[in-house]
Amino acid sequence: MRCSSYGLIIPGSESRFLTTTTTPTTNKKPDRFPRIYPTSVSFGSLKVKAKLNDAAGGTATATAVVDESKELSFYDLLGIPESVSLVEIKQAYKQMARKYHPDVSPPDRVEEYTQRFIRVQEAYETLSDPGLRALYDRDLSMGLHLAFSARRRQQNDVDFQVRSEWRNRWQSQLSELKRRSMNKDAGGNISWAARMRRKRDGLSQEL
Amino acid sequence: MALSAFSFPTYVSKATNSGPHKSSPVTSHFFGAALFSHFSHKLDNHQIQLKKRPNGVCASLSERGEYHSQRPPTPLLDTINYPIHMKNLSIRELKQLADELRADVIFNVSKTGGHLGSSLGVIELTVALHYVFNAPKDRILWDVGHQTYPHKILTGRRDKMHTMRQTDGLSGFTKRSESEYDCFGTGHSSTSISAGLGMAVGRDLKGRKNNVVAVIGDGAMTAGQAYEAMNNAGYLDSDMIVILNDNKQVSLPTATLDGPIPPVGALSSALSRLQSNRPLRELREVAKGVTKQIGGPMHELAAKVDEYARGMISGSGSTLFEELGLYYIGPVDGHNVDDLVAILDEVKNTKTTGPVLIHVVTEKGRGYPYAEKAADKYHGVAKFDPATGKQFKSSARTQSYTTYFAEALIAEAEVDKDVVAIHAAMGGGTGLNLFLRRFPTRCFDVGIAEQHAVTFAAGLACEGLKPFCAIYSSFMQRAYDQVVHDVDLQKLPVRFAMDRAGLVGADGPTHCGSFDVTFMACLPNMVVMAPSDEAELFHMVATAAAIDDRPSCFRYPRGNGIGVELPPGNKGIPLEVGKGRILIEGERVALLGYGTAVQSCLAASALLESHGLRLTVADARFCKPLDHALIRSLAKSHEVLITVEEGSIGGFGSHVVQFLALDGLLDGTVKWRPLVLPDRYIDHGSPADQLAQAGLTPSHIAATVFNILGQTREALEIMSFKS
Repeated sequence: MRCSSYGLIIPGSESRFLTTTTTPTTNKKPDRFPRIYPTSVSFGSLKVKAKLNDAAGGTATATAVVDESKELSFYDLLGIPESVSLVEIKQAYKQMARKYHPDVSPPDRVEEYTQRFIRVQEAYETLSDPGLRALYDRDLSMGLHLAFSARRRQQNDVDFQVRSEWRNRWQSQLSELKRRSMNKDAGGNISWAARMRRKRDGLSQEL
Repeated sequence: MALSAFSFPTYVSKATNSGPHKSSPVTSHFFGAALFSHFSHKLDNHQIQLKKRPNGVCASLSERGEYHSQRPPTPLLDTINYPIHMKNLSIRELKQLADELRADVIFNVSKTGGHLGSSLGVIELTVALHYVFNAPKDRILWDVGHQTYPHKILTGRRDKMHTMRQTDGLSGFTKRSESEYDCFGTGHSSTSISAGLGMAVGRDLKGRKNNVVAVIGDGAMTAGQAYEAMNNAGYLDSDMIVILNDNKQVSLPTATLDGPIPPVGALSSALSRLQSNRPLRELREVAKGVTKQIGGPMHELAAKVDEYARGMISGSGSTLFEELGLYYIGPVDGHNVDDLVAILDEVKNTKTTGPVLIHVVTEKGRGYPYAEKAADKYHGVAKFDPATGKQFKSSARTQSYTTYFAEALIAEAEVDKDVVAIHAAMGGGTGLNLFLRRFPTRCFDVGIAEQHAVTFAAGLACEGLKPFCAIYSSFMQRAYDQVVHDVDLQKLPVRFAMDRAGLVGADGPTHCGSFDVTFMACLPNMVVMAPSDEAELFHMVATAAAIDDRPSCFRYPRGNGIGVELPPGNKGIPLEVGKGRILIEGERVALLGYGTAVQSCLAASALLESHGLRLTVADARFCKPLDHALIRSLAKSHEVLITVEEGSIGGFGSHVVQFLALDGLLDGTVKWRPLVLPDRYIDHGSPADQLAQAGLTPSHIAATVFNILGQTREALEIMSFKS
């Protein structure tokens, strides 16, 4: 049953915490998704489990077909090996787009083909940007397969975390600067500017 | 809401810009409902839905993503004429000001063309700098200067923004003679820290107390001069602030033809590591915990541990700056006005800091979705439509000399696998992006490091390769010692392809390539040539590839070809070195042109045909070695010999007259006159205007001929006739 897959792609689940992906029942690449348990978010995964179970229970059947193709990585979607250049990615994307575009898909499978097309487009967007691609490759190697939109949401959260880290860091750097400036013009400092400053301050004190 | 708290005089625009809402003065008292309804009435025809917010007009167009061809409403920016008018604003108003400034920059650049992406990346930084510091007393320097559009808007030049990069208009870079807020003229990169240090030391010597801030980008950091300056700054320890504007775009334009380009050089990865220091932060937290536990009496030891931990977690990049003697602060979100103002304020208020480096992370093209998505981040654009982002590129019959050069080089590299190309962060500007796409392993981008590029090419030549160094004529000035000492002295066969030779139009004197003939032709071993049209360019690339025993160079201008037939397969035929050609046979007067000035000579001779004069027009092709036979024959069979070139004194004309003198040809009856660029810098403007100012248009040449022949009346006629 699908309930056991903890893929973060189940629609409706807003998950901040990275959890595992398990091997899907239709096992394409068994070594691709090893079980990884992140150390710092044990309580988080409980929350996610609850959410996922709710979501999975309600929408399992509807998303069964969709989930199948979602297990493919971006590289599989485009039908290319992992080590390809930008030009080849572009070519592969164009091929896939021509094949799966709603306008040219066979009428009985429009739904499925449109979904596929959207996913192909996501794949291309990620892989064509070297920065995003690097992040994706890193996640893939760690066994996490996230859909683009989930990554974007996650990226924003990550960005926010990063920014607040930066803020902490430069705040401490500023206080350090203030501390250092106390000793800057002490007698021991013989740099040119320190001498000039002492002279300037000495003069203004005389005045 | 603080919007109603303005108490300073209002700015009424005297601009000639159209836009219905500009016709009525905007006064600060009307903020609130009255103005809101006034605006919404005026702007109905622009189909804007103004949000009914209780605090008045919402002007943050970039949030809604609407861009339109009329000037966007900027109520807060309209009240700012100079930075002093910003001092009473709250942080919230500063953010609104940043949004309005962004919309204004997009609108202005869409009308005039120019550098968009870089200006958009520093909007918040500009606002924060002018808010915290007191220009012009406090010196704010901008490296390269192409990101100063928001700075110019905030410092009294908003009404002239529509003249940006045009004749008699604003310069596209900072210029001391333009405004007292532009402390230092820039255009070439990596000079701001050096100049800033000079200003800081000058201030110290004079006993003054102002601040000095130098803003430099991560691209400009790849140049050696930045390190020379930082090294010296660390040693002198003078108070100054260096702001490193890091947007991960190191080469220009910031893309190859196939997509965004990863930054060049090892420094960029160091800077990236600085930005993403997560694992090390955890170590710091641990260290903090340990020091807390140690407690009171051990606080000295704890401070030491803290500093040690800090040194560890700072990463190797900041250690580089620390080792050079600059105190490193960052990374900082460059689009957050709060953070920027807080940091700058703190640093400003610290009594003695020594040199401080603030690492600010920005995004090029930020705030304009089309720029953010574009591979080159809209670094340099022509006029465009703000709503769609589409540039209005004029369609020309021919391509640019740059493209022809790239195609010629590709054709040479197809047959000879030793041909390699080197450029200094100008893949798009030199056309070598095309070469890169065809031969990915034979094209080298060294970052903004022309000196290194030349000596690197010399090293390649030592190993038997055929390096083509494509560097703009004016940027070659940086690498002159390397050309003389490393290439020419040792007679290494490095080929220099100097683009943007002569007058360059909108970029102005900072990018003008006036001096390359002079400084290249005086070198003993150098072969110096210049094509008069694009077919000649193909042949000269082939000639340069064939010259394998000495260095050679050729120059070509900015602009498009004239439309001659290209050699088949883009493969030129090597010319005979030191041989020119005669294009038109005539009598009495000979025009000897060098480079694309030959086209002006041909046009002049067409003008004079109608007056019954048939001139001889010759294309010298080579300045070194000169075609002695051609010059002798011209001097002996004509009354007048005029040499024409788009270069300074000391170039082609000087070499010709040197030869004439030594050969005894000046002892006879021939009159020689030179036509060169005048002895002053020609300001930016359209190429036609610049040429007219320089006195090198076909009319000028024709008038010179008349004057020498004594027909001064006809000379005046030609000059006053405006075709």
